[in-house]
Amino acid sequence: MKELCIPVPGFGEDQIAEVSLTIGEKKVVYSYRVESFPWSIDQPNEDCSALSADDYEHATLEQINNLRKSLSNYDKGWELIQIFTPRKGATHIQVLYRKLNS
Amino acid sequence: MNNNNFTIKTKELVKVFRTEEVETTALNKVDLEVKEGEFVAIMGPSGCGKSTLLNILGLLDNPSGGEFYFNGVEVSKFKEKQRTNMRKANIGFVFQSFNLIDELTVFENVELPLLYMNVPSSERKRKVEAVLERMKISHRKKHFPQQLSGGQQQRVAIARAVVANPKLILADEPTGNLDSANGEEVMNLLSELNNEGTTIVMVTHSPSDAEKAHRIVQLFDGHIVTENVKKIL
Repeated sequence: MKELCIPVPGFGEDQIAEVSLTIGEKKVVYSYRVESFPWSIDQPNEDCSALSADDYEHATLEQINNLRKSLSNYDKGWELIQIFTPRKGATHIQVLYRKLNS
Repeated sequence: MNNNNFTIKTKELVKVFRTEEVETTALNKVDLEVKEGEFVAIMGPSGCGKSTLLNILGLLDNPSGGEFYFNGVEVSKFKEKQRTNMRKANIGFVFQSFNLIDELTVFENVELPLLYMNVPSSERKRKVEAVLERMKISHRKKHFPQQLSGGQQQRVAIARAVVANPKLILADEPTGNLDSANGEEVMNLLSELNNEGTTIVMVTHSPSDAEKAHRIVQLFDGHIVTENVKKIL
């Protein structure tokens, strides 16, 4: 067995979930953090002009560029594990990080 | 074809799927370069374009726009026959669902790429025997896929992918249908092949599988949003 999935109750922003795993004599500690980066924009840019309102969950170039900036400026001591797909109309996008060497 | 080392490179690659009512941009100006001997993992949420990108890199599909250089040759507008010829000579595929042919034995499944390449019978036999031995599955060569476990089926699929000695292996969620022990074995096999010089591009949802790669590319909504170099070649 290589991976375990565990429920994490009430894991909010600005919190660090610390998971301790003990196998026999060996103990490993993992630290996870969910960050929220801005996702909303004032106006859709031209790349989205062809999309209908129903398709509008498709990211705009501005949103993607903002996400790129946020990811590249993030603390290098943490590695990106997963980008969560934001809900339609969301103002923030959530990204899961794990502390390096943890 | 140029004489440089094997590379694949995309410039502003676009893929749009259209139906009568809906237009979906699966890839939006993707720039990606993979050099010879690299092991690249592509990650991202479901629907972000990972498999679409892999299909284009594997010459299974053409992009809607942009450029795609396969070993120095611009292939984005290749016809099906040209793509097939280039694919047969250069690429091995490993899929999540193995994609073995149920009616053929293990030996015959692995032999298939060599048949398509018109390799003579004696050479086919030698190559297939050697790769089955290497994948530790030769004792099952007369069995049919459904008589094998998932891990064994994936080992056969990897044998089929490498039997023609491809420059590039494309793997789409190769451990997705396996338990962790078999998954680890498959990842070790891919790492071993990479250490011997085969370039690998793998789509995965698994962070631990991605850790085997030199570089992790994160796709989101058809865009590359970040690249993380894990190991220096």
